[in-house]
Amino acid sequence: MKKKVLSTILSAAMVATLLVGCGGQAASTTTSEPAPAKTEEAAAPAASTETTEAGGELNFKIVVKSFQSSYWQAAVTGVNQAAEELGVKVECNGPNAESDIADQVNMLTNYINGSPDGIGLAACDQSACLDALQMAKDAGIPVVCFDSGCPDAPEGSVLSTIATDNYGAGATAADNLYAALKDSIASASAPVRIGEVNQESTSESITQRGLGFIDRFTELATADGKKVAVVGNEFYVNGAKDKGDEASADIIIEVAVPAQTTVELCATEASAIMNKSDVLGIFGSNQVAAEGILSANENLGKLGTEAGTTILAAGFDAGTVIKQAIKDGKMFGAVTQSPLAMGKTTVQTLYKIANGETVSDIATDGYWYDNSNMDAADIAPNLYD
Amino acid sequence: MGNRKIPAKLLKQEVIVFIVVIALLGFFCVASPDFRKYTTILTIMDYSYYIVLMAIGVSFPLITGGVDLSIGTGLVCYSLAGGYLIVHKGWPTGAAMVVSLLFGIIIGLINGILIGVMGLPPFLATLCTCMITRGLGSICSNNFGISWPTTGQPGSWFRSIFKLTIGDTKIPLGFVWVLLLAILMHFVLNHTKIGRYTIAIGSNKEAAILSGINVKFYHIMAYVISGFFAALASIAYSAVFATVLPGTGAGFELEAIGGAIIGGVSATGGAGSIIGTLIGVFVICLLKTGLPFIGLQANWQQIVTGVVLIGSVMVDIIKKRKESRK
Repeated sequence: MKKKVLSTILSAAMVATLLVGCGGQAASTTTSEPAPAKTEEAAAPAASTETTEAGGELNFKIVVKSFQSSYWQAAVTGVNQAAEELGVKVECNGPNAESDIADQVNMLTNYINGSPDGIGLAACDQSACLDALQMAKDAGIPVVCFDSGCPDAPEGSVLSTIATDNYGAGATAADNLYAALKDSIASASAPVRIGEVNQESTSESITQRGLGFIDRFTELATADGKKVAVVGNEFYVNGAKDKGDEASADIIIEVAVPAQTTVELCATEASAIMNKSDVLGIFGSNQVAAEGILSANENLGKLGTEAGTTILAAGFDAGTVIKQAIKDGKMFGAVTQSPLAMGKTTVQTLYKIANGETVSDIATDGYWYDNSNMDAADIAPNLYD
Repeated sequence: MGNRKIPAKLLKQEVIVFIVVIALLGFFCVASPDFRKYTTILTIMDYSYYIVLMAIGVSFPLITGGVDLSIGTGLVCYSLAGGYLIVHKGWPTGAAMVVSLLFGIIIGLINGILIGVMGLPPFLATLCTCMITRGLGSICSNNFGISWPTTGQPGSWFRSIFKLTIGDTKIPLGFVWVLLLAILMHFVLNHTKIGRYTIAIGSNKEAAILSGINVKFYHIMAYVISGFFAALASIAYSAVFATVLPGTGAGFELEAIGGAIIGGVSATGGAGSIIGTLIGVFVICLLKTGLPFIGLQANWQQIVTGVVLIGSVMVDIIKKRKESRK
């Protein structure tokens, strides 16, 4: 009897975790403690570069958002290249998933306690790291943010932010998608719908891209005399410059955010949008979201490059799946950043700081690519696998 | 009182849950015109295979009165290991699938030995293997996402196991396989030694030991079955989705366990039905696929799923209470 009572309590506890809406997260906080240690072991041989040079006493630590996508692989490659060129010691680490915010803060704090000569940080959450950044400042350790900035960081803790102008990159996707859809929108007799899938609403890079897309699309459509409304996830609806009114709108931008950053949940959200008959285009604001859209299309078969008859999908970043989809004409195009250069610049900037130079923020661009310019000399090197 | 008039057959959990599935389907069809499409069925099917397979497997530990929390992260781990061999080592898809399956059986065996022989509480033992497989998966793939061969690439034949494309029509072939497997395992549970002893361990372990059953062996087998089906689920997952990401998978097991419990597997062990599990998983999948269609935001979807789970556990407890009063 006792045993049955116990197991009832246990299963009730399990159900309760589900109810709180964080089944996955609950498990991940408990499981992640030993995992990072293993991750470190796995990452270390590939990530850290020992040098023999006498001047190579400088010791930098890099915290990436995760190793989930090949985007970070490219960034780590850039970090290693710069480390080798400059003869410095660099160690990279990152949490298991981009949603493991607490794990990342933990790693950052551990690195600060080890007093390195500098830290490069790609923050999963723009506010979670603030206390740690204050710690770094108090300990006199310079921090360089890359990929995602920490706009509210304590004065003087972050010396330089190296990031894609994410708002601008989102707008670039809107520019290209709108240009392709302009005629269909103009000739539509009923309201049309544009979808947007963002993997989360906590990091600066993703939210800026999402909002950049929404705001530019709204701006372009309004200039052509159309009314736009933004619906769906509250964060993005409230963040949009003009959320409009759904009842009277000609164009509805529908924003979906899954509960966790996994391809299968992004795919579920994407297929719910793509199933609607009035959808003209859809934007996935990073590799996971874009691959979610492509997964959803496996069944729907609605994506293509013919405006009006197929749904035009705009993606973000690269990777084999997205590159192949663009080659095959399933995905209309995507915006790529240059993670390799970003990783390299991060280490170079840390090196400059260590040598007493003053540094400032560096904005890198997002580039639009599609079937026509994938092999161009200025685009191809940024399209990592 | 009024219950007595309803035939006992209609009160069986499978029947009740089947009615719930039909009701949910009806509800979503009425609530969202976009839901009423063949492609929606394809989508629900796609997303159900890996959960159904995990749920069939995990039913066995659940019926012994235990649980297997390692199946979710295990799934991702086996899939990453197999995918790594294909993408980076040039292995043929078939050979990589065998490796994934063996990997699953080994983890199941470890769970079984920890629980059946060493006497660790199932919750604890499988929580540990859950952590271990999560770490192992990241190591196997060197921390990066892996894409099994996509449609059109060489070695992508395994995707047709689950979804056959004839001309422009896509057929959710995977449903046939999961249905056959569910019937097979239903038979195994009810008509073979492995199954009957699994139930015996769950309803009264002492009595099972005293009646001369090799409890250790059959306890281990329950977890081996669970591990094997988690590995089958990993192939289904790789076949349906473009990329497998390391570090994910925690939470999948809750959907599978939830499906099994909705389908009538007793939360305290000793009873269960695999056909019920199959139907129970479709309640979860319908909610997962359908709720976004009616515009419910992701966090609310999880709350609704949680409430449904509480409801079905309550039904189980109330049934037990009635039985003990008889």
